[in-house]
Amino acid sequence: MKHQFTDIKPTSNTKAEADECLFEYLHGEIVNYVVSKSSDDNNKEEDLSRLEWMGFSVGYRIIERLTREWPRFKDELDIIKFICTDFWTSLYHKQIDNLRTNHHGVYVLHDHEFRLLAKIGKSGSKQYLKESPRLLAFTCGLLRGSLANLGIACIVKAEVSALPSCKFNVEVQRI
Amino acid sequence: MTIHNLYVFSKNGTLLFYEEWNRLNKSGMTKEEEAKLMYGMLFSIKSFVSKISPLDSKEGFLSYKTSKYTLHYFETSSGLKFVLNTDNVAQNVRELLQRLYSQVYIEYVVKNPLCQPNEPIQSELFKIKVDELMKKSPSFLCRSL
Repeated sequence: MKHQFTDIKPTSNTKAEADECLFEYLHGEIVNYVVSKSSDDNNKEEDLSRLEWMGFSVGYRIIERLTREWPRFKDELDIIKFICTDFWTSLYHKQIDNLRTNHHGVYVLHDHEFRLLAKIGKSGSKQYLKESPRLLAFTCGLLRGSLANLGIACIVKAEVSALPSCKFNVEVQRI
Repeated sequence: MTIHNLYVFSKNGTLLFYEEWNRLNKSGMTKEEEAKLMYGMLFSIKSFVSKISPLDSKEGFLSYKTSKYTLHYFETSSGLKFVLNTDNVAQNVRELLQRLYSQVYIEYVVKNPLCQPNEPIQSELFKIKVDELMKKSPSFLCRSL
């Protein structure tokens, strides 16, 4: 009986709602804060490195918890697959829609409806295209941090052509 | 049955959003002037209703009706005001306004970090969603103009 209870997902709507929006609101505020900070220094380009760094730290920590029941991964592709499925599902409630690789350390993760962009624009909207990199910097860091803790040093870049779909380019650094 | 137009006002009376569907009679002033006039009237009616009411009422002002149209008023606890003009036979407009607030405003304005609170809503997605909701509702039936 006890076991059953712990496995049940919160079915009440209010609980899930609070759970969901807390992350979204907090993320939005962090983004706005960082952007307003960096515009004080009157840089021409928005400085999103702080956001990326925050994401890195979060990703680095989160991977410890998410992989606690996993056996060790076979290879690099295995790790990336884990990121696309379980990792993404636990954070954004869906899997990556498309994964491509050239088998030489470049992976492209394509999400057709990225959660942090879904409320901003739909069906190929171009309105907030200029602002959207702000909302992706944290996730780029998150990916980089997670992969770093799994032993893959890489560079992650995000690319948006039409909201709410976006691509994350993961480029593994070989030494 | 038909829906004429919609105003959304912030707590302090700024016009956040305006959209019209079947409006035959133009007021002959700018949108800003009209919004001020509308907000002023609503403000007066609200205080009039609460002062003149012989009983304690929870809801306060809900709607008024003329021979041609009905104005529905919905105010949230946070002071956000939704005003919808329909014809006199439209039904369940309160529920529609409630849905507009919870399913469209909250989802696409509050959850959009690029929309600042108390500023006119620029999001195109919000506009699309409002339009969808209104056109789906049974009260919306385009009369041939």
